[in-house]
Amino acid sequence: MDSHFLGIDLGSSYTKFVVVDDSGTVMFEKTIQTLSRNRQTFQDIKNEIDNKFNISKTCSTGYGRNSFACDLQKTELICAAKGVSSFAPTHKCIIDIGGEDIKIIESGPNGEVIEFMMNDKCSAGTGTFITEIADKAEIEIQEMNDLAKNSTNDKVINSFCTVFAKTEILGWKFNGVSAEDIAKGIYLSIVNRICKLPVQLDIPIYLCGGVISYHPYLKDLLKNEFNTEVDIFPKPQMAVALGAALIARDEK
Amino acid sequence: MAQLEAQKKLKIILENYFVGMKAPVAWCTSAGPAEILRALGFEVYFPENHGAMLGATRLAGKYIPKAHRAGFSGEICSYLTADIGAWLMKETPLTNAYGLKSIPKPDMIVFNTNQCREVAEWFNFYGREFNCPVVGIYPPRYLEDVSKSDIDNVVAQFKEVISVGENVLGKKLDPHELEKVVALSYEGTQLWKQVLDTARKKPSPLSFFDGTILMAPIVMLRGTKICVDFYKETLSELEELAKTQQEDSNQLRLYWEGMPIWGRLRSMAQFFNDNNSVVVASTYCNSWIFDDFNPKNPLESMASAYTKIFINRGENTKLAYMEKMLNDFDIDGIIFHDAKTCFNNSNNRFGLPKRLKDSTRIDTLTIDGDLNDLRFFSDGQTQTKLETFLEQLKSKKRISV
Repeated sequence: MDSHFLGIDLGSSYTKFVVVDDSGTVMFEKTIQTLSRNRQTFQDIKNEIDNKFNISKTCSTGYGRNSFACDLQKTELICAAKGVSSFAPTHKCIIDIGGEDIKIIESGPNGEVIEFMMNDKCSAGTGTFITEIADKAEIEIQEMNDLAKNSTNDKVINSFCTVFAKTEILGWKFNGVSAEDIAKGIYLSIVNRICKLPVQLDIPIYLCGGVISYHPYLKDLLKNEFNTEVDIFPKPQMAVALGAALIARDEK
Repeated sequence: MAQLEAQKKLKIILENYFVGMKAPVAWCTSAGPAEILRALGFEVYFPENHGAMLGATRLAGKYIPKAHRAGFSGEICSYLTADIGAWLMKETPLTNAYGLKSIPKPDMIVFNTNQCREVAEWFNFYGREFNCPVVGIYPPRYLEDVSKSDIDNVVAQFKEVISVGENVLGKKLDPHELEKVVALSYEGTQLWKQVLDTARKKPSPLSFFDGTILMAPIVMLRGTKICVDFYKETLSELEELAKTQQEDSNQLRLYWEGMPIWGRLRSMAQFFNDNNSVVVASTYCNSWIFDDFNPKNPLESMASAYTKIFINRGENTKLAYMEKMLNDFDIDGIIFHDAKTCFNNSNNRFGLPKRLKDSTRIDTLTIDGDLNDLRFFSDGQTQTKLETFLEQLKSKKRISV
C-alpha cells in the first residue's frame, strides 16, 4: 500500500484534516469545530483516516499543535507557506486571516518563510471579530458576503477593540444603517486593519485561512485598496493543513 | 545550561546583602551614581531590583492594580506600578526570601533619568512617603556624541548629590574613598564584561537568561570587593565549563534587545534550549559594562559612563553599537522585545530592526510583551512567533530542522 501523510491544523475555531499521497495529491480532507468537549468526532475522523490510508507520518499545526501527538509539530505560518507554495511556487506574500489572528508571510517558491508578521495584541480584524460584530448587527454570517456586495458604503468601524466595535455597530443600527452597509463596514474595517501591516505589494499576494473561505468579497476590497492583483488559494481554509501534510511528506 | 556554582554563591551574597543592610541607606537607580553614595557611607538599595523580583516571582500582577487605583496608569513602567502597589499593600517578596518585614527605609533617594523619566515619578513618590531628601540627576538625553559640556552638566549634578548626602550623614565625602569605590566598580564592570564575553564561545556556556540572574552584583554591589570576587570566580567557572563543551554548528545564536520578561525567564530559557538555540548576547546585560570608570578622575568618569549608556543614546549610536555586538557574537537572529510599559527600552519603535536588517542582513523578530505586566504577553502567540523565527533562521542557515 502506498504511503500517505496526514496534516492536522488545530486552529482556534476549526480543526482541518488533510491526507496526501507521495505525489502530494489530496486524498482526504475534513473540517470540524475545534475545542468541542465531545472529542469523539475528532477520534472518529482519526479512525476513518487510519482505516482508509497507510499513514506513515503526521504533522500537527495551529494553536493546538502541541496538544495532539504527531510526528512533527510546526507553526501555522510555516505550514501556510508550504501549503500555498504547492499552488504558487513563486516568491510571494501570503495573507492568512484566521479565527484569532492575521498573519503576513513573505514566502519563497518552496515554502521558505523569509519574513513574517502577526498580530499578537488583540483579535481585531479576524474571524472572531467578524462573528462578534455580525452577531450584534443581527446579520447572518452566511449572508454577509452577498449583503456587502450590494453596498456603496465606505464607512469603516473605527474601533479596533471588538467590544467597542460592537457598541459602535449599535449606534449604526440606531441610525438606521442598512444591513448591506453594516456588512461592508465590517469588511472595510478588516481591510483597514490589514493595510496597517507590512504587506509587500511588489510580489504576488495570496489569501488563505478560514475567513476568506466564507467572505471572498474581502478579496475585491483588498485588491482595490492595494491596487494590485490578489488571488485566493483554492480551498483557502485547508491551506495550512495541506502544508502540514506536505511537510510530513517532505521532512526527513 | 547546568546549574553553576556561581548561582549558589549568588544566593548567599544576596541574602547577606539584604539581611545585612543597615542604616544609613540610600536608594539609587540601577545606572545612578551608586559609587558616590557608597563612598559617603550609605548602604545602597535599588528599587529596580525589587521591581524585577516582583516580576520574576510573578507577584507583579497582584500589585499593579493597586498602583492603578492610586492613580498610576497601566501604561507606565510596570516596575514602578508593581513596586508602588506592593508598597501600598505593605508586602514584599523580601519577606519570603529573606525574612525582612519591609523594604529598607531610605535616608536619601537618588535617581538618574538617563534611563527614563518614570524613575523620577517613582522615586519622588517614595520621597513623599518617607519624607527624605530626593536628588534627581537629569542628564542630556538621547545623545549621539557625548560632549564635555554634557559631562560638566552631569558632574555639577553629582556634586549636588554629594552635598545633600553630606548633610544627611553630617560628614564630608572622603575623596580617597570615592577613588577606591570607583576603582572597584571599574574592576567589577570589566570582570562582568569578561563573564558576558564567554558567550562568544561556541557553544556558549552562558545565556541571556543566566545573565539576568548573574548580573545582580554588578547592579546592586557595584563598587565592592564582594562584586569583584564574585565575578572572578564566575569567570573562572564559565571558562572551565566552556572547555568541556563540544561545538555544535547547528546551534542558533540569538541576540535579545530590550527588557527581560521577568515572569517568563525560566520558560523562555527552556524554550530556546529545547530548540537548539541560545540567546548569547543582549543590550540589557551589557548595560552594566562601564568602560569609562577611572579612579583618577572619579566624578567625570562616572558622568561619562552613566551618560553614555545605550538607552540614553541616539538611534545612530544604537545602530552602530548593535552592529558591533552582532559581529562580535556571531549572531544569527535578533529578538526585539517591545515592552508595553517600557517605552524607553523598547528599541524597535523607531525603525531600528529594519535598519539593522538592511545593514547586516541578519533577520529580526519583534515580540510583544512586558517586563512585569503579563497581561501584555501572550504565551501562545509568542511561542508561535519564536518557533517560526527559529525555523526561518535554520532554513537560511541550511541546517537540519
